[in-house]
Amino acid sequence: MPVRITVDIFSGRPNPSVELSGKEAQEALARLTPAETLTADAAEKTATPILGYRGLIVEQTGKEANKNLPERIRLSAGNIVGRGLAHRASDAGFEDFFFKGLFRRAAGVAKLRGRILEEVERGRAVRENLLIRPLPFPIKIACLCAPRYEPEWWNDAGQKQFNNNCYNYATNYRSDTFAQPGLAAGAMYTALTCAAVLPAAVADALEDSPGANNKCPSEGHLVALVIAPDWDFHWFRKGRNGFWTHKPGGTAVTHLDNSGHLIPDPRTADRGPYTAFCTFMVVKHGHIKIQ
Amino acid sequence: MGTSKSSEVDSGYVGGVSVFSGRPDPLWPVGAGDARSLMALWDALAPYGGDAPHAPPLGYRGSFLRGGGREWLAYRGAVTLREGGASEMRQDPGRRFERQLISAAPQGSVPSAFLDDELRAQG
Repeated sequence: MPVRITVDIFSGRPNPSVELSGKEAQEALARLTPAETLTADAAEKTATPILGYRGLIVEQTGKEANKNLPERIRLSAGNIVGRGLAHRASDAGFEDFFFKGLFRRAAGVAKLRGRILEEVERGRAVRENLLIRPLPFPIKIACLCAPRYEPEWWNDAGQKQFNNNCYNYATNYRSDTFAQPGLAAGAMYTALTCAAVLPAAVADALEDSPGANNKCPSEGHLVALVIAPDWDFHWFRKGRNGFWTHKPGGTAVTHLDNSGHLIPDPRTADRGPYTAFCTFMVVKHGHIKIQ
Repeated sequence: MGTSKSSEVDSGYVGGVSVFSGRPDPLWPVGAGDARSLMALWDALAPYGGDAPHAPPLGYRGSFLRGGGREWLAYRGAVTLREGGASEMRQDPGRRFERQLISAAPQGSVPSAFLDDELRAQG
């Protein structure tokens, strides 16, 4: 029962390997006899491909295979995985055994041997620290209907940036007019208060959604109105990743608040002088008209 | 640094404050004498070393003078001149350029309470 042991380490060039036969092969397979079952985490760590040393691949290349093992297994840090197999090897130190002796026979690696052994140690450490996180399925996009965050499109240091304000950006509507709530509907705000700006935005067909509680709507996207009392209004918009972004006046679009932090919720963001949080509103695409 | 949609005076100099988000920023025409005085102040400033002071996104972000294809932006002890694609920054420790520029604003056009706090805190 001939056996080929391949050091799975390279990406582009062929991996080095050693051929065993007779008693040597039998002894190797005996050392690799499955012992206790691996946990799911350990099995996944063993099977997860990384760059660099990934373990030994042990293949039974003859016609009479050892029935205790699949024809091809992967061994890494004493764990073996293969078809229907995820176990600890009887000899958990087989890799050390291999590299101290049998590996010397691998062809074409004389000059690389030292470096390969260093890489084996590094690869072990990498695998030991691998953090396997469950992949959520289906992959969840926080706000599917929200506009894409594309600051480079708005931040042109010219026509688009200087002539579109927070209201344009939040509604994702380029008017080049520094849009004012209610102006398009002939119902522009007359005071810089929540009570005055909110109905002006409703006149532009934004929908008040005070109970949104930072949750994305099923249609359209979420925006938030805040006020610097008697001074100015400001808008934020919620993005696809669930975080909020904004465009302060004619300045650049940003995803940070006044403290330089990301904005998971505009109610708790550092908003400088815009101290009054008015409400969440929904922008239904194609419904609104601003000027 | 342009920020607003109001009636700029094409033939002369315009002063302004970058402060609002929803409303257009306040702008005002700057007379020839005031403009000359500000440029004399600029000429007397020393080069600025280090990074420019960083304005927060919301609230006061600086005061500016525009005209003749040039723009001076003053914020917290630094004055930056932009002309074409080039820029030059100079230090203004007493914020004299910034204060003199704002002092020329028409009464009530700039939110004075907030600006007073800003200039007092960093003056």
